[in-house]
This record gives sequence, C-alpha cells and structure tokens, in this order.
Amino acid sequence: MKKMFPKLTASLAVCSLVASASFATDMIKIGVQAPITGQYANEGQSIDNGVKLIVEQLNAKGGVLGKKIEVITCDDQGAAQQAAICAKKLVNEGVKAVIGSYTSGATEAAQTTYNRAGVLQTSDGTSDSLIAHKYWTFFRNSFPNSAEAEYTAKYFVDGKKYKKIVILSDYSSYSTDLADATTKALKAKNANIIYEGKIKSGTQNFTATLTKIKSMDPDVIYFSGYYTDGGLLRAQQEQLGIKADFVGGDSNDNPDYIKLAGESAKGTLLINVPTPDILPYDIAKTFLVDYKAKYSMAPASIWSLMNVDGLRAILHVMEQTKSEDTKVIAEGLHNLKDFPGITGPVTFREDGERIGGGYMTYEVQADKSYKIVYQ
Amino acid sequence: MDIFLQQMVNGLTIGSLYALVALGYTMVYGVMRLINFAHGDLVAFSAFIGLSVYAQIFGESATSLIVVITVFVFTAAIVAFVGVLLERLAYRPLRTAPRLSAVVSALGAGLVIQNSVMLIWGPNMKIFPSNLFPATIWEMGGIVITFTQVMILGVSSLLMVGLYFFIHQTKIGTAIRAVAIDQDAAKLMGINVNRIIMIIFIIGSALGAVAGLFIGTYYRGITFDMGWMYGLNAFVAAIMGGIGNIPGAMLGGLLLGLFNAMITGYISTQWAETFTFVLLIGILVLRPTGILGETVAEKV
Repeated sequence: MKKMFPKLTASLAVCSLVASASFATDMIKIGVQAPITGQYANEGQSIDNGVKLIVEQLNAKGGVLGKKIEVITCDDQGAAQQAAICAKKLVNEGVKAVIGSYTSGATEAAQTTYNRAGVLQTSDGTSDSLIAHKYWTFFRNSFPNSAEAEYTAKYFVDGKKYKKIVILSDYSSYSTDLADATTKALKAKNANIIYEGKIKSGTQNFTATLTKIKSMDPDVIYFSGYYTDGGLLRAQQEQLGIKADFVGGDSNDNPDYIKLAGESAKGTLLINVPTPDILPYDIAKTFLVDYKAKYSMAPASIWSLMNVDGLRAILHVMEQTKSEDTKVIAEGLHNLKDFPGITGPVTFREDGERIGGGYMTYEVQADKSYKIVYQ
Repeated sequence: MDIFLQQMVNGLTIGSLYALVALGYTMVYGVMRLINFAHGDLVAFSAFIGLSVYAQIFGESATSLIVVITVFVFTAAIVAFVGVLLERLAYRPLRTAPRLSAVVSALGAGLVIQNSVMLIWGPNMKIFPSNLFPATIWEMGGIVITFTQVMILGVSSLLMVGLYFFIHQTKIGTAIRAVAIDQDAAKLMGINVNRIIMIIFIIGSALGAVAGLFIGTYYRGITFDMGWMYGLNAFVAAIMGGIGNIPGAMLGGLLLGLFNAMITGYISTQWAETFTFVLLIGILVLRPTGILGETVAEKV
C-alpha cells in the first residue's frame, strides 16, 4: 500500500505539468523508455532517476533555448511488445528525443517507430544489431558487444590462458548477440570452446545444464546474460562443486547479482566498462554526489550514467545549434567530438555508434567490493 | 554414471516441488471438479509471506531450527487462511454455476493475488536470506547434494506420505474421498461438504506454501510473477499423473522434474519444454485419464 501513494502524487504532478504545459507551450519534451517494473526494474528506475536529475538541474538554470524541459516516462517492462506501445505513446506525446531503453530487445522494438517519426533515440543497448539499420535517429551511448567480445577474448586467451571454455547465454537479443560475438572473437584467437549452451531466463533452476557442464570439466564458464540469472547460475555452480571460474558479461554488474549469488559471489569475475564509483572525471563525481543526495542511493550501474550521457549530449547540441529540429540535432551529434561525458568522452560514428571502450575485469571480493584484476 | 545420478538428484528436487504444488491442483479438482488456476500465484504469495514473517519476527539475523519451523508454520497458516478465503469469495458463490464461470473466476483470482503481491512488495525481485538452512554440501562419489535439497526431498516426501495416510486411514480422509465421489450422496450420509471443501483448501494451500518457501530458500530470488511458471508445470504434472488422483500428482511431479532434467542434461534446454508437452500429449492420447487415472468407483 505504501507504494501507491507516491504513484498517486506522481500522477497528480504529471497532471499539473500537462495543465501548465497547455498554457505555456514553450516546453521541450524528452521521453524516457525504460523497464520501470519487471525483472530489470532497478536498472529502469535508475535511468529514469538519472534523467530527471539532469533535467531538474538544467531547468533550475533556465532550461534549454530558454525553454523548460518536461520528462515523460513510459514503462516498457523490458519487453518488446510493451516497448512498441511505449514508442507510439511517446511519439504521440510529441517528444523530441527518447532516452532508453535498458535492454537491446526493447530498444530494437521501438527503433523503427522513432525513426519514422523523426524522434531521436539514445540507448545503452549493446547488441551490434542496433546500428544495423543505420537509422539517423539512433545514437548508442554505450559500447557495442563486439568491443566487449574482443576484450573478453584477449583476457581469456592472453591473460587467463583458459584451455576449456564454456559459453552460456539466454534467448534475449542482447545475450545471444554478445555470446555470438565472444565466440567469434575467441575462435579468431584459436581458443578452445568446449560447449556453447543456452539457459531460459527466469526459470531459476539451472542445475541440469550445469551438471552437463560439470562432466566437461571446464576452466571457465562465461555467461553473457543478465544479473537475475547470472547470480543464480553462480550459486548453483558452486553448489554442484564445479571448480571453474565464473565470468559474467557486463549485465551481471548489478548489486542484485551479488545478493543472489550470496557467498558464492566471492571470486567471480565481471567484465564491464568502469563502474560509476571509479570514474575519474569531475562531472562524474559531482553527478554521483547529487544523485545520492536526491535519491539516497547510488545509481544501479554504469548503464544509467551512459543513458544520462546520451541525454546530456543531446541537450548540449540543442543549445549549441540553437535548434529544436531533430535533423539539425542529429547532424550536430555526428559532428560532436569528445564531448565531456560522465562516462568519458562522447563521440559518435556516422552510424550512431559511440566510439571508445575501455573495459575492465573486476573480481568480487569477500566484502562484496570490486577489485580491478585486468585492464 | 555420476552425471546421470546427479541429474536424478536435480530432477527429483525440482520434481518434488512440482509435486507439492500439483497436490493443490489435484485435491481441489478431485473434490470440486475445478481447476484452481489461482494456486500457482498462491505459491508465489507464500514465498513473499515467508520473507516478511522472517524479517518481522526475527529481524533477518538469527537462524536456528526453531526459527525455520516457525517461519514455515506461520506462513502455511496464513496461506491456508487465504486459500479458504479464496474458496469462500471466488468459488463457493459459483458452485452451481456452469464450470466455465468458475474457471474464469479462478483465473481472475490468480490475477488479483499476483497484482496484490506486486502492490504490497513491489515489482522488483526480492532476495531470500541465504542462512535459513546451513550451507552444508555432501559429496559422494561425484554426486553433490546440499542440505536444502535434502530438506526439500525429505520434507516433501514426508508430507506426501502423511497426506496419503490422512486420506486413506482417517475419518476425515474417508469423508474427503466420499465427497470426491458423490457430493449429494455424501451430504445424505451426514457429511458436511462445505467443511470438507474448506479442509481441502487448507491442506492444498499449506502444501503450496511449503513449496513456495522451498523455492525461496533454494533459488533465493523471488518475483511476484513467478507463480505462473510453477503453477503451469505443476498443473502439467497433475494432468500427467491423472488429475484428481493424489498419488498421481506426486508421481507426475517427480516424473516431470526428472524428465526435464534429463532432456536439459542430455539433449538441450531449447527442447526441454517441447519434449515435456510432447510427453504430456503422448500420455493423454494413450491414457486420457493420466498415468494413474482418475478413480472412478471405490468402496469407502
């Protein structure tokens, strides 16, 4: 019941915003499409929080082009069907740009709608397929799976010298894409992949698959899916006494991974770009302090900050080009060079890809903290 | 060989959870000829209740056998009460209505429970404390079995055997079987049918609650919508074994768990569900009443 009250006040606030908007039409609308509920809720809420924080700060300084910014959030539950509905809804609301979504699947399902409507979209989805259409409206604010795959292959072959590698993924667009890219990169380095398997996300019981893997006696189990399954996989791996290292792809970097894996979290290796708390940039430090002050918790992961950088880049270009025309803004985004972002310099390629990378491997310590073990 | 035995352990663990849930479906069906689609959501609900009971009473610190037993008993009692309430509000008014109305009511009740769980505990995954059971692991000739698995296997077999004797050896059990065969005749014999149905819902919901708590302690992550998956699997198990038949539900649950583990282990995850349903269709074609069949006539 406690939950209902903020919702009610939030919807009242939205009502009053809409009402005031109809008087002062000088509002720039920005959409957020993120999994506010469902299994990736903490990531989705964190994206929404981050966007709202930036917008609030900017509005306090007078907004963009002398106009205030209004944020409209749509909950896609991390699912493709819901994402398509959100896309239509946000386009009808007349947003200039959409931040999100968190998952590649939900991002992909909404891409075409935004492109047709000429609405800019920036997402942290890492599937390489997201830029396959070369939509002028799409800008990835994270780095693609292929970049992570290259890093992982280098780490496995040159760093760890694993002899027997197991690759697990789920059926999502992101996880399949990352697993395929990693397999390809490993094969290019002549690594020995002894098993490529799939688990069904959300089924909780992975002991059958893991028992099969146990018989192969691998050096490492690499999982390219999300933290909700990764934590359980790791816990059940240890339960079954499989001695192999457990390496999680970027989406396992979430506080819930550690909670789910419990004691087994210790010693697992997670691959991701730098975590929020070790970002060396001043704007990152200020942002994290402000975020904690407003929401009394840290952002769920680096992904929220990536999305916030997408938003910041768009707002920066709007101010720079003095234009609300999305064509002009897109042009400006392509011309952007090393825009100082929270997650590092932001530069976009012609197809909307963010240039850069800088992956790291973290080892989870006994006290649940991260230690950088490979760069 | 040890891999095969390990898959047996994996399969039996999940299978006995399915069996516990399947008992709830089959008992209600046996007596009321109603598929209680809300049962799966009741299982999810009980995992959340268990989490809150634990946090409220023990503040997430202490664990001992007494703590665990208290959590289980409290949760089972609360869920049993909700089960009875469910029957009163959603099924009893429709007892004489066409069967389809009752099924729709069951589906609706399931949604009400699921959404209530979401509103009360929130849409995020909740995580069970890891220290309810000791983290002991036994290893025998390459087969690994955990304390939690032993508990799941032990407690559910105990409950199932207990239930079997309760149904077949006690006066109330006899009354339950009589109501299952013919409600009107049972009434004429002086059996209070409403009371029997209430008992059925108490037992079914309490068994579901035990399953829900085991799901929480074994897998640790619980979500408001997980009831659907466990409900569906248990429902399939109940049909496989012969719906309305109590040993059938136990057998169906264990078979389903084993079958799933073997397919996943020896063929692939991709095919596990497909094969499960092929098996179900196969059983229904060859034996429309399930493996053990529905008891048709019986002297009580």
